[in-house]
Amino acid sequence: MNQGKAFYKKISHMLPAGFLVLVLLPLLLLPLASVFIYALRGGLGNLGAALTTTDVLFALRFSLIIAFATAVINTVLGTYAAWVLSKTRFPGREQLGIILNLPVAIPNVVVGTSLLLLWGPIGLFGQVLEPLGIQPMFTPVGVLLAHVFVTFPYMLGTIKPVLDDLETTYEEAAYTMGASRWQTFLHVLFPALKGGLLTGALLTFAHSLGEFGATVMVSGNLRLRTQTAPLYIFSQFESGNIQAANSVAAVLAILSFALFSLILFLAARTGKKGAQRGK
Amino acid sequence: MFGRPLFRWVLRITIVCVVLAVGLWTIWPWLPSQKDRRPRTIVLYGFSILEPVITKGIFPAFQKRWFEQTGQRVELISSFGGSGTVTNQLIMGVPAEVAILSTELDAQRLQKAGVVHGETWKKLPHKGVMNRTPFIIQVRPGNPKRIHDFSGLTQPGVRVVHMDPLTSGAANWAIVAEYGAAVRQQGSGPDAGRAMLLGIWRNVAVQAGSGRAARTQFDSGFGDALITYEQDAIWSRSRGSSRFEIVYPRSTILSEHTVVVIDERVSERQKELVGAFVDFLWSEEAQRIFVRSGFRSVDERLNSLNPQFGHIRDPFFIDDFGGWRKAKLTIIDDTWKNRVLKELKP
Repeated sequence: MNQGKAFYKKISHMLPAGFLVLVLLPLLLLPLASVFIYALRGGLGNLGAALTTTDVLFALRFSLIIAFATAVINTVLGTYAAWVLSKTRFPGREQLGIILNLPVAIPNVVVGTSLLLLWGPIGLFGQVLEPLGIQPMFTPVGVLLAHVFVTFPYMLGTIKPVLDDLETTYEEAAYTMGASRWQTFLHVLFPALKGGLLTGALLTFAHSLGEFGATVMVSGNLRLRTQTAPLYIFSQFESGNIQAANSVAAVLAILSFALFSLILFLAARTGKKGAQRGK
Repeated sequence: MFGRPLFRWVLRITIVCVVLAVGLWTIWPWLPSQKDRRPRTIVLYGFSILEPVITKGIFPAFQKRWFEQTGQRVELISSFGGSGTVTNQLIMGVPAEVAILSTELDAQRLQKAGVVHGETWKKLPHKGVMNRTPFIIQVRPGNPKRIHDFSGLTQPGVRVVHMDPLTSGAANWAIVAEYGAAVRQQGSGPDAGRAMLLGIWRNVAVQAGSGRAARTQFDSGFGDALITYEQDAIWSRSRGSSRFEIVYPRSTILSEHTVVVIDERVSERQKELVGAFVDFLWSEEAQRIFVRSGFRSVDERLNSLNPQFGHIRDPFFIDDFGGWRKAKLTIIDDTWKNRVLKELKP
């Protein structure tokens, strides 16, 4: 009798999960699987060959460098923005918070065009800069600019809740003991933020690695100069080189999987720590 | 709390090592030891179907020749897309030194936008025309819809894959090919051309952004017929795709692909290199490579080298319609855009 009950309980938990998997199968899992199937179609040798062409090597390296630089810049910028929004009081604070989060809602292509219209050779700033020989668009700097813009909210979104939750008593204690703002940040806030910083940086990195819409506008899609891995995939797919495209797609999928596993792992750990501290 | 501290340490060290290894691999080419001899570069924007022949045929040959002549390594920085897209990018200011467009129409747009001053491409060999290829019809194996000429595309129930004239140079060529094929029939006038366009465009089921994109769509099973470059069909066949047949229309146009040097973006230092590359495009070596990849050479003698070229009974050129400037006005704008498209819209 008891056993039957346990069995029933087990089933009642497995059914919804099974249903979820069934729904997600054609939506998420099978498309991902087909990337790998196509990539491996010509055998491992072909996959290796497809992944070691000059174009692919450059695209992957370029993407990783841009993602790293974006993560570093947004770790600093995002943390600063989170600190301003969370710890200072000024009129228009909420509105500023909304504006800073906008890049999540604006289509990336629009971000790309708006950057072009500002910095491009026909743009507002671009027209002034062009005669000086400064042309950020269609160069790696332009790509970096777009990625910083597009991924800005991720760091902010990770850090701000932590700062909001952090009780001000600790900081006040630090101030009363004569600590400067910087010292307070370094010794009181930073240790609490460490987990969030790493998670936010990885999240930014992962999003930058996969960014397409803005990059395609501002990069000029130049192989060996500004072509990121997602742009390479798109170009090759459009050229009918489905295998070459899928080889890189498979690498990106694996990288993203590893990154997000790490992010979830870190998030779970910081969550646990926070819970412990709460006790 | 954690029963396996050793495991956790191993995991941590592994993650750190993997991250460091990936990092090192990433920056490897930019490390000082690798940096001693960075190659010179040429920045080229080209229309879509050129990608394989330029990156795998023409450029490696030029690279070799330049190295033999000067001992310098040179690398190609390139981007390929629909001719119209490429032209728009050039107008937006991408740093191209050389552009190869599928029609002179796009070169004229560059001139209008002030990217080049005057019709500079006309000073190049063959008025800037690098190679040619006729427009053909590609049908499914066995030609189930019995399409033997452009007129076959007007039958009800034929689904045509066509390129989009907004972004694709090929689409503009195709429209002139369709119009011209009808007009050149004995005893017919512009009305026959309009009727032909109307009949074909009623059947256009998919519009693609570039010649290459249209090919990809047709290959993935869309449509019964594709109007495209002969070169693209030959190239596709050489890659083992045999799921189509080529139909040679009785009359069709030979597209002429225009090279434009963006003088403003070529620095003093680059002049010699870019000039050498552009000259190389018309060298016999390069023209032979084009022929081998399915393009028809501007040097007629070389065209017998590729047995895959089909026979066209009545080939014609854009000059037969007074050049692109006039053809754009009378055929593309007045006939296709203002009349045919409007008639098709309910």
